Amino acid sequence: MSAWHTTAHFIAHPPPVDWRDDLARRIGRRPRRVGLWTELAMYGARCCLDAAGEAALPAGARIRVASQRGAWGATHAGLTQLDAGLPMPFTFMQSQPALMLAEVGRCLEWWGDASFALCRDAARTLQLAKLGAARDGLLFGIVEEERHGEPPRTEWWRLVPA
Amino acid sequence: MSDVYLGGTGLACVLGDDVPSVLASLQRGGVLPTPVAVAEGIHWPVYALAPSEGDWTQRLCRTVCNVASQTGDWGARTVPLFVASSSLDIGFMEHEKQDLRLGGDLQDFAGVVARALDWQGPVFTVSTACTSALNAVLAAAELIRSEDADQALVIGIELDNRFTVAGFGAMQLLAPDRAQPFGAQRKGLVLGEAVAALRLTSRPARWQVAGGANVVDGRNPSGTEATAVHAMCRGALAQSGLQPGDIDLIKVQAAGSPVNDAIEVEALKQVFDPLPPLVSLKSAIGHTLGAAGAAELALLVGCIEGGVWPSVDYPLDASLGIALSKEAPQKLRNILLNVVGFGGGHASLVLKDAGP
Repeated sequence: MSAWHTTAHFIAHPPPVDWRDDLARRIGRRPRRVGLWTELAMYGARCCLDAAGEAALPAGARIRVASQRGAWGATHAGLTQLDAGLPMPFTFMQSQPALMLAEVGRCLEWWGDASFALCRDAARTLQLAKLGAARDGLLFGIVEEERHGEPPRTEWWRLVPA
Repeated sequence: MSDVYLGGTGLACVLGDDVPSVLASLQRGGVLPTPVAVAEGIHWPVYALAPSEGDWTQRLCRTVCNVASQTGDWGARTVPLFVASSSLDIGFMEHEKQDLRLGGDLQDFAGVVARALDWQGPVFTVSTACTSALNAVLAAAELIRSEDADQALVIGIELDNRFTVAGFGAMQLLAPDRAQPFGAQRKGLVLGEAVAALRLTSRPARWQVAGGANVVDGRNPSGTEATAVHAMCRGALAQSGLQPGDIDLIKVQAAGSPVNDAIEVEALKQVFDPLPPLVSLKSAIGHTLGAAGAAELALLVGCIEGGVWPSVDYPLDASLGIALSKEAPQKLRNILLNVVGFGGGHASLVLKDAGP
């Protein structure tokens, strides 16, 4: 499939002040025990799907997420806990990209092919995500926490083969 | 569309620094895990790589170069490189001062690996916990099938770090002594360190990567979901053009979890009737997390080609109603490799003996 159509593109950079309330309203619950990075991913993915007019992601679609820094805050906190001899299970879980994928899937009422991959050349990451995708297409996101004055970012594309 | 083959493997794990030494150790009965201290008074067993000189990064670079070289000569090294890991460079970060930690990004680790190998081609990081390496294989296979590349190198890496051991310990997922997949006395998983390399190529070789599937089911982030096991097996079979009865051997996930091992067996029985022979490798090398898909594939192919088979020296759980094969099945055409992981990741790969 060489030609793709963008059915929705959502960007929050930075997200609005009330984005957490907005996420809770959209998914009908407040996320529990997830870190900031995961929550940003959930918010962007849900908003992008809403913008595409899709109540749920089709089962045959795939999710791909990229991030340069990932769950920076949770990882930093986890290392500090390790230094103190008090590793906490939820902090460790929040540091893992796999947990982000699980929560994004849950908030879209979806399960299927989801992965976290990145490359210095962002275009290659997207190109790789498209390879082998089914007719249901792709939900592709880039999610970054705030860092060194750069505001948090959650940017998503809903792409389907043309 | 090109077919995808396994053109070479490399492996360093608790059993040895290359496939021949790994098989020799396995033949001698393997080795036990060693205790790793994660906090004062808290130790967990780990199937660790042999200690070697140098700092964390030096050991990483040396091990990666050794393992990649086992897959043959790569010439100009311009094809894609996939670095698959769950913990990435967290072991390095542990030794950094707090204010210097995490100053870079998640691609830095793959960059270090690429520089060690003098790699010139595009470099990807894949990090999906325990399914990282299998997801890297699936992605690399798509590049080759679509003829965007004629070869790719997948390297799965899990090196020493206390962060992951402490995290799994805090989640109460670890066994206090040794790994006993499907064992009557299984108490949890035991982590392992490994570096494994897989050379994927469009050039015909004995082992064909016939198909695979990846299914993330977030309903139970630390557990196996039966419906996801069904989906990953059926998805891998469908892409390979196979039926359940065509599978001659299943390399199971079987990390030694009291609950997840039982769910996996029940789910497999619902897809495969009768169950084909099963083999488990985690009692030999531990659960090598992000490297597991590559390490267990390299070890399994090594066992088949080297005529060595992992022994099971503990009683199995009779209530599961299964056995682990004591030798390689005589008819061995299609193999299913399953990996299930943290975060609800479930991945399967079909390996087909394309030889005469």
